[in-house]
Amino acid sequence: MSAAELSLPPRPRVWPRIAVIAGVVAVITVLTTLPTLGGVDIDLHAIARNWGNGAERIAKLFHPDFSILPRTWKPLLETLEMALIGTGIAAALAVPLTLWAARPSNPLVGSRRVVRLVLNVVRAVPDLVYATILVAMIGVGTLPGIITLVLFDLGIVVKLVSEAVDSADASYMEAGRAAGGTQAQINRLTTLPQIWPMFGSQVLYSLELNVRVSAILGIVGAGGLGRLIDEVRGFYRYDALGTIILEILVVVIVIEVISNALRKRLR
Amino acid sequence: MTAPAISFRVPPRPSRVVVQIASIAVGILLVAAFWNLGIAWEKLATLPSRLGHYGALMFADPNWSKLPEALYQTWRSVAMAWVGALLGVVVSTVLGIPAAAGVGPWWLRLPLRGLFAVLRAIPEIIIAIIILTVTGLTPFTGALALAIGGIGTHGKWTYETIESVSHGTAEAVKACGGNVLEVARWGLWTVASPELMSLALYRFEINVRTSAILGLIGVGGIGDMLTGYTQYRQWDTVGVLIIVVIVITMSIDAISGAIRRRIMEGATVRDVDRSV
Repeated sequence: MSAAELSLPPRPRVWPRIAVIAGVVAVITVLTTLPTLGGVDIDLHAIARNWGNGAERIAKLFHPDFSILPRTWKPLLETLEMALIGTGIAAALAVPLTLWAARPSNPLVGSRRVVRLVLNVVRAVPDLVYATILVAMIGVGTLPGIITLVLFDLGIVVKLVSEAVDSADASYMEAGRAAGGTQAQINRLTTLPQIWPMFGSQVLYSLELNVRVSAILGIVGAGGLGRLIDEVRGFYRYDALGTIILEILVVVIVIEVISNALRKRLR
Repeated sequence: MTAPAISFRVPPRPSRVVVQIASIAVGILLVAAFWNLGIAWEKLATLPSRLGHYGALMFADPNWSKLPEALYQTWRSVAMAWVGALLGVVVSTVLGIPAAAGVGPWWLRLPLRGLFAVLRAIPEIIIAIIILTVTGLTPFTGALALAIGGIGTHGKWTYETIESVSHGTAEAVKACGGNVLEVARWGLWTVASPELMSLALYRFEINVRTSAILGLIGVGGIGDMLTGYTQYRQWDTVGVLIIVVIVITMSIDAISGAIRRRIMEGATVRDVDRSV
């Protein structure tokens, strides 16, 4: 063996690129933390100063007042029902929209672009903004909450599933086409069976998110537990807030465990 | 020689009893929820006309004089999102690496995973409500809430990423006698860092959306303006705010998405017609 073969390869010169990236991150960080530019004023003194009055309330949070529990059952049920209905409607709407938005199932470029653009815009608006505006339009209640959840879910489910269809195995669809099927027949018999597991798993995931989101929608008047959260916050009942948070925590974790188990079976 | 007879019969359909029972159960649950909730459906009938009416109020003649203020407030939201992402990512990386199987011992892994699960379950806005008792109604509160709320999901992503990368280099470092820190730095970080960087950028994207709603409780930013003008029903200004939110969110997603693709796929791969 010659000596040349044993020498180490030259080290790649990565430091200039790392320096540039670090520099950009540092510049953005400085810009975003300058109070004169409207950035975030990292005020550690405030934490040191107000720690006392904050600690008192946080301590109350950790001593939950369970006497509020009976009052939470009805809003909690409302939250769960809203989440379920929202997911159900979104799931039903997502099937045709997904087929519409994916390349193999919709060969028409124009309509595909329209659906994708609309869904991108729908996704760009945060959930609580929908809720705020819908409450102002049609009044308080669970209806604006449900519409919000449907919009929110459609954005996620259709995007993820239609991307999966795009990268799915196209040979089945080609077989369908070779056999002389119409696009609708191909979608029904070759595309849909391929995406059901993925679709089910995404819908379960959005149910999980919905429980979390619908718990706070009530803060703006869209029904569910959020209204109670807003109320106890208004009265500085942090011990009651602690109970409600604990309750949300238990419900979310239970749903997460169930949906994880179901999703494992779907795969 | 005769060819063996080929059966052209269709194979028997697999049993679908479980699926059928499950769909019936889901159906009953849905109907029960509809029944029990008592939704004011009559409002739904008026929704299209209302949407048209308010849509015209919002977008027919937007009040562009509020644009500078809207842009300034959006900048504050984005600043909140950035600082929150930076703090959150640093903490979740430090906590997430030891939480990965094969890196930290079980007595460290389990409590860390529990912490992530608990933080994941609490909505950011509730975390902000708790923090504002200490820091007051400032963007700093928003940034802290985003950081702490982000640790829940980001910590989970971090340990899952590290568990899913190839462990060959880590074993090589271990075989050379590296300790836990050396394995993490030279064995795992080098392999997992592109994906972790991409996730960090994604965290920023998510934070931009969330920061737009944190203003609801008064910590500042575009959410503050949105609630205010919606409450006073100044729809022409609300229209401007919605346009600003949509444009900024979509541009940040597009830029960060392009950078993420570059990190994951390298410089030579050009964007292969993904938008269609």
